[in-house]
Amino acid sequence: MKLLMTASQIRGLPVVTVRGGEDLAEVRDVIYDPEAGRLVGLTLNKRGFLAGRCREVLPAEAIHAVGQHAVMVLDESSLVAPEDAPGDVGRPATERNVLGNDVLTEGGTSLGKVTDLVLLVGSSGEVVGYQIDKAGGGLGYIPLPAQVSVSGVALVVPNLTGDFVQDDLVGLGAAVDEFRARLGLK
Amino acid sequence: MSESFLRSTGRKVISRASAKELGAVNTLLVDVEQRRIAAVVIGRGKNAHLVEWAQISGFGPDAVMVVDEGALRPPADDREAAAIEGRLELVGKRVLSERGNELGQIGDLTFDAHTGALEDLLIGDLHVPAGSLLGSGSYAAVLDKSQEPS
Repeated sequence: MKLLMTASQIRGLPVVTVRGGEDLAEVRDVIYDPEAGRLVGLTLNKRGFLAGRCREVLPAEAIHAVGQHAVMVLDESSLVAPEDAPGDVGRPATERNVLGNDVLTEGGTSLGKVTDLVLLVGSSGEVVGYQIDKAGGGLGYIPLPAQVSVSGVALVVPNLTGDFVQDDLVGLGAAVDEFRARLGLK
Repeated sequence: MSESFLRSTGRKVISRASAKELGAVNTLLVDVEQRRIAAVVIGRGKNAHLVEWAQISGFGPDAVMVVDEGALRPPADDREAAAIEGRLELVGKRVLSERGNELGQIGDLTFDAHTGALEDLLIGDLHVPAGSLLGSGSYAAVLDKSQEPS
């Protein structure tokens, strides 16, 4: 049974050092690579009364764990200047936004529109699914296969995904492993 | 002998050399990295002083004995000043697992009255071995993942 949370739930969480117990910043936004299906990093806000955008970013590689109540990093050196961050963490996310994309199966059925990312709690930020606004109405949750094609307009997923639409995060947590096993992923 | 943080606060502090009462235990300064009591804080505010653990001749059930009055010193750095103001206090601090989940608050801690080594942290009904403490600061104390309910 996996414990999951959405990217919206991660926004605002404190970023806390394991070694020092200090809150360095809080999560502003989740930067995601939809083609690779993985988190690239987090942008940050300052904590406290001087709240505002924090120049430093947190690359996914430097995340110790994403938990229900905090994002853990080892120490201050985990936060880096955008120009020193690997990949695209420092760049704006607009052109690779998956939110609002239509989720289409390979067979051409629309399952709904992506409204949020779903991450595995306790991991270093593994993205395991999407929250969708279901074609038939209401929120649903789908597991994420390893590879998807994504255009910024639509996201193509295996037909099998249609059998795995869940009503809540608990259901998705229980379904992720079976979904991956059925697809032949580990 | 095992001693508790909560039980030892308020205990009188006596000079072994002069038998004079020097004050009462306000709080204890914990060295999180070494997982031991680094110093005893006596008095409050501007009158607060520290006594290094090595200068304590006996951490007894009725009194804390220090070698002499010369063992009392003012805070030497920012960390000690913060300790006197209670900002480094472990007891009452929020507890996070290294996986980022809240586990509760530290209610009390126990230590060896002879060596000053931390023994257990009390979090709710749980006794957590001090060896699980990875770090502590202004926001939280962080425990290793062995303390996370799976």
